[in-house]
Amino acid sequence: MTTANIPLQLTRKDFVSNQTVRWCPGCGDYSILAQIQKTLPDIGYAKEDIVFISGIGCSSRFPYYMDTYGIHSIHGRAPTLASGLAITNPNLSVWVVTGDGDGLSIGGNHFIHVMRRNVDLNVILFNNRIYGLTKGQYSPTSRTGRKTKSSPMGSIEQPINPISLALSSGATFVSRSLDAHTKHLGKTLAQAAAHKGTSFIEVYQNCVIFNPQEWGPLEDRRERDDHIIYLEHGKPLIFGKNRDKGIRLDGFKPEVVQLGDEYTEADLIIHDETSKQLAYTLSSIEYPDFPAFLGVLYQEEKPTYTDGLFAQIQTAQATKGMGDLNALYRSADLWTVEEQEVVASDVKGTVALGMDDAYMDDLDKPEAVTTAVQDQLTQDTLASLTPRVPIEVDASTSLVKAIRQLNAHNIGCLLVTDKNDILQGIFTERDVLMRVAGLVDDLAAAKVGDYMTADPITVSADLPIAQALHLMSIHGFRHLPLVDEDNRPEGVVSFRDVVHHLTESLA
Amino acid sequence: MSLKEELQAERVSHLDLSNYCQLPSSTLVRDVLATMRQKGSIVCLVIDNGRLAGIFTERDVLQKVVASSEALEQPVAAVMTANPVTVSPDQPAINALQSMDTHHFRNLPVVDKDGRISGTMTHHAIIEFLATRYPTEVLNRPPRPAQFPSKAEGG
Ligand code: SF4
Repeated sequence: MTTANIPLQLTRKDFVSNQTVRWCPGCGDYSILAQIQKTLPDIGYAKEDIVFISGIGCSSRFPYYMDTYGIHSIHGRAPTLASGLAITNPNLSVWVVTGDGDGLSIGGNHFIHVMRRNVDLNVILFNNRIYGLTKGQYSPTSRTGRKTKSSPMGSIEQPINPISLALSSGATFVSRSLDAHTKHLGKTLAQAAAHKGTSFIEVYQNCVIFNPQEWGPLEDRRERDDHIIYLEHGKPLIFGKNRDKGIRLDGFKPEVVQLGDEYTEADLIIHDETSKQLAYTLSSIEYPDFPAFLGVLYQEEKPTYTDGLFAQIQTAQATKGMGDLNALYRSADLWTVEEQEVVASDVKGTVALGMDDAYMDDLDKPEAVTTAVQDQLTQDTLASLTPRVPIEVDASTSLVKAIRQLNAHNIGCLLVTDKNDILQGIFTERDVLMRVAGLVDDLAAAKVGDYMTADPITVSADLPIAQALHLMSIHGFRHLPLVDEDNRPEGVVSFRDVVHHLTESLA
Repeated sequence: MSLKEELQAERVSHLDLSNYCQLPSSTLVRDVLATMRQKGSIVCLVIDNGRLAGIFTERDVLQKVVASSEALEQPVAAVMTANPVTVSPDQPAINALQSMDTHHFRNLPVVDKDGRISGTMTHHAIIEFLATRYPTEVLNRPPRPAQFPSKAEGG
């Protein structure tokens, strides 16, 4: 039975599982996870019709963290399981999560074939140009000359270009995005989901532990626009923070030019996402030799594998009738496998302990230079914001009264507490717009308890400011209740307080 | 570099200003609310003859609309804040922030000298700036602080 046409009102929260996320703090995987959880509510599928399938690697832990169906499968083989599933049940939204190791080393062959078949599924390849899970060896996308644990004198191999490979294998949707570019990533994921057929998204992902320098200025919001070309169908390839640079063709060779006297917009390549020839040409340019292009490079409508297969099944059944699986099984020689004697193993010993730590210490990581802002974010606690004393009401307070309180104190939120002062919910000006204004007729009869957000996410005074910012950026919260260990409110942290603190204290 | 200096170097136009909707001044408040809800906007920029005529914010909803059933059927022009203070997109971000603070504004429409509207400046724009400027510290934190692993695990 399909549930796809039941109207859905899912939110990001519906896709967050209760599993402990085990990536290294700072890993780009976190932002990709958050964006996927944010995008899925809007792709038009019921939660139970969405499946994430992964192989092996850091990125492949993904299915645990999604509150959807998921398979953490065999190394490099996620595309095969995904293809089988998507063909058998075309009503599902199937996502493969893989990395440059899983998808292009051991899974290289499967990658090619999933790209060419055009089964309706989505492949997200987290590219950090290193092996993360096995601790820092070079991967198939590591640059030539790159020194890693397994290439101490520099890699002598030519890297794979995942976008070129996907294109030449016949993918019908080829795109790229960047982990920390939340808006762009969300948009690209939504476009991939909407495409019928195999969608490929390469996501440049920052492995902060083993390859933190790889994406350089791309990971710096202030500079990234000087290094990113945003592809838009029908638009010239202009880039730069001041939009003063572009890409033109010199013969067959893409070339970066400065716009001005010598070159104008008219000299630049116009992006055409339906042109495979252009896609091939553009796919050849890669960061850092060129600015990185982000967006949809190529897309094409083509019958899917499933369409073709089902058409053949129908024809076969029309001419030969329904098949009989049982008869097919029994049509060849049959034999019985006898039980075998158990052979005792003589392998003994314990796993060496402490090896990991020695290995980690041994890594020559670039020395981290932090800015004053970074130090503040991670070292100043929320207590240092001197959070405002919250205004508290109980759940039976009428909306009239609650709104009067918000207006009288000129504040954006009220905390709702029970008679023991335990936090029950939060009621904000956002809730007034979203759930009350023009929707509730009798404000005197309505109780705030029915319109608040119950059991809100809270913070405690000893957490770093970065934690509050994280919650605010991911969830869009403007206020966070600060509570003690018994969940009694101690204050409210607003994003205004945070911005103030960061801009004032260093004045 | 301090955040102040960073926001001095960053222009308003380079922030995320997209959290708004834009409607003509004759639109009924009821319909404005519906659009704001549907688009998740925190502010509606009210337009007259292609120019910014006023703004209508969540605060206005709270103060002027929610308790009055008549307000819903009026054009938004009746309840908006007319001729709002604006900021130009080529200003340093810090100027916009300071202007918001001085006036106790939660948002500031961004309009260039020819009257072209490019969005609305909010505190959220600064949060988004910080999150993507410092993804390692902010964006890519483990969601639950209690689960912060004590060492890098490599997966
Ligand atoms: S090893 Fe790298 S890719 Fe793996 S979780 Fe850690 S930071 Fe992320």
